Amino acid sequence: MLVIATSDKGGTGRSVTSCNVAYRRALQGSDVCYLDFDFGSPTSGAIFSIDPVSRGTEGGGLHSYLQGKIAEPQRIDVWRQTDRETLRSRPPGAGRLVLLPGDQGGGEFSMTKDILQRCTKLFVRLLEEFDLCVVDLSAGRSYAAELVLAATAQQELRGVPHRWLVFHRWTRQHVIAASGLVYGRRGLIEAGAERGHDSQVLADSIRFVRTAVVNPDSEELAGLRPTQVVWLLDCNKDLQELARQHQLGRTMVLATIPLDPVLQMREQLISDRDVWASQIANAATVAAFDQLARRIADDAAWDEL
Amino acid sequence: MPSPARSDAGGDGAGILIGEVHTGLLLNSASLRQDMLPAVLGLLPGERVRSFERPISHAVSPELLVGVDCDLSTASGTRVRGIGTLAVRAAITGGRVLQGSAWTRLMGGHAEHRLPWSHYLARPGVVETVGRRRNHPYHADLADGFLDRTNNRKAPGIDFGAICGQIMGEVQRSPYLDRRSPFKAARTTLRWVAEESPERRIGFILGDDGSRTTRITFDGQPISAVIELCEDLALHDWLLSTLLDVIDRGMPSDGPHETMMRRIRPAVDHLIHLWMPGARVVESLLPLWESLDTKPGFTRQWDTLVNRIRDQLALRTLTLLSASAEGVPGRNEQGIRS
Repeated sequence: MLVIATSDKGGTGRSVTSCNVAYRRALQGSDVCYLDFDFGSPTSGAIFSIDPVSRGTEGGGLHSYLQGKIAEPQRIDVWRQTDRETLRSRPPGAGRLVLLPGDQGGGEFSMTKDILQRCTKLFVRLLEEFDLCVVDLSAGRSYAAELVLAATAQQELRGVPHRWLVFHRWTRQHVIAASGLVYGRRGLIEAGAERGHDSQVLADSIRFVRTAVVNPDSEELAGLRPTQVVWLLDCNKDLQELARQHQLGRTMVLATIPLDPVLQMREQLISDRDVWASQIANAATVAAFDQLARRIADDAAWDEL
Repeated sequence: MPSPARSDAGGDGAGILIGEVHTGLLLNSASLRQDMLPAVLGLLPGERVRSFERPISHAVSPELLVGVDCDLSTASGTRVRGIGTLAVRAAITGGRVLQGSAWTRLMGGHAEHRLPWSHYLARPGVVETVGRRRNHPYHADLADGFLDRTNNRKAPGIDFGAICGQIMGEVQRSPYLDRRSPFKAARTTLRWVAEESPERRIGFILGDDGSRTTRITFDGQPISAVIELCEDLALHDWLLSTLLDVIDRGMPSDGPHETMMRRIRPAVDHLIHLWMPGARVVESLLPLWESLDTKPGFTRQWDTLVNRIRDQLALRTLTLLSASAEGVPGRNEQGIRS
């Protein structure tokens, strides 16, 4: 299955969440690969703590592959090559976790027929070996997004499930922007239909992920003054109404990721040890990643509309 | 543009054979039926797909030729340029396992510069070295250079991986496949070198990341027989690696029954019946297979794994049966109490 992660605005935590979801899914026993399609700023290497490719690779990444400079893009086994010792061995029962990094100084490019063909070939190639391919796009409308929309509409990928995750923060501006990215002019659905997708099928394969969400009922906010809590609850209610009006209502939400200080300070994988041993991360965050990782592949979560 | 190749053409028996076999899972929900094989493997219009039903379903695409002109990898780092063609083909075994196989015969050329292309086309499946090195004992240097993947040589050599990947990709994107395979499996790569020698021998080295190398000496068998031996070896090595992976993943001993079944089932449904070492190997090369079966002992390991799966399934079934036998009166009692 292909899962494509996108967002309208930057700073939504799209990359860090999708890396963590890839990691959780691998822990759950699936073979997972992560494709860094954020060609302008490939930073997934840093999130997986693979120092040599922290800002993209010099050894032939996805950018070079799509432009036809190399026959196959570089693959990095995360279990083996991560610098974080707590992640370095593949736990029993876990699947493969492989990163396909972008190129250092890659930059955007426009789509040609050859690039589209290479992209389709790559997806078919990876689907042979991996249960889940996470494609992380850059924020906003990009050529990479157009490319993936076009590739998934090709005959070779027709029978393969592909699902879109649209990340947004839980604020007015982000809700409106995320809605525009999906339903607006030149949005995902309109652009997808032009590329040969069935609008309804495509719409059914899109879900939203709310990130950095402050839960007004959580224990961490116990110190707030009652007036502040009331104000927060009101804001939350307004946002829910706004989201509903913009077709981002509860049934369209696949997961809600709580605000976590670790993710705010440093974008990284959160291991169980970060929660239980060093207690720097919140159990709720890991639970949210874990649930999202399960729901991605759970047909029931996508059928309920 | 690829053109048909003949694997037995190629000269006077001198030189060494080098090649690579990539093995992976065919992207289809069911095992591919025998009658579909010609459509999926018919990569060259007008050329026949060879297919066999016994002892196991097997089909081979026509051989294509790919032209190369590049520096060959050498163990010593000496620069040796090679020009000529590789032969490449795809094969499907048991309707389930896909292989891309490419090879060429490296021979010392007589020219000191590149000859007209017609010269090389007249020798399909042969790469000739260019330069004055033909009296130099370069066979061993080229063979060692080719097999050593870790060597940071200046010349990466012929990119067999790209050529095998290309032909496998073409098959996987066939309109006759649905690309919904019941499970996923990593590809493995077998790189091989074969030389003529009075003594028949085989060596096999297992590397990390799914890479394997093998070295063969043979005496007078046709090239096609050597290639089939390598393909058969690669196939069984892949089966073994894939089954090992399934077991590693699916058998944490205390996992829930459904999880174990979900993970073990593909192996039972799609892999176990494919084990047939030496099925397509000519008789005179069978002793080589048998020596590998003695050490490292492919079949012995395979049998152990298959037995382990069967034992686990039997134990689980017994546990489930006894649980349900105990469970039925338990429920009744509760029913009576309430």
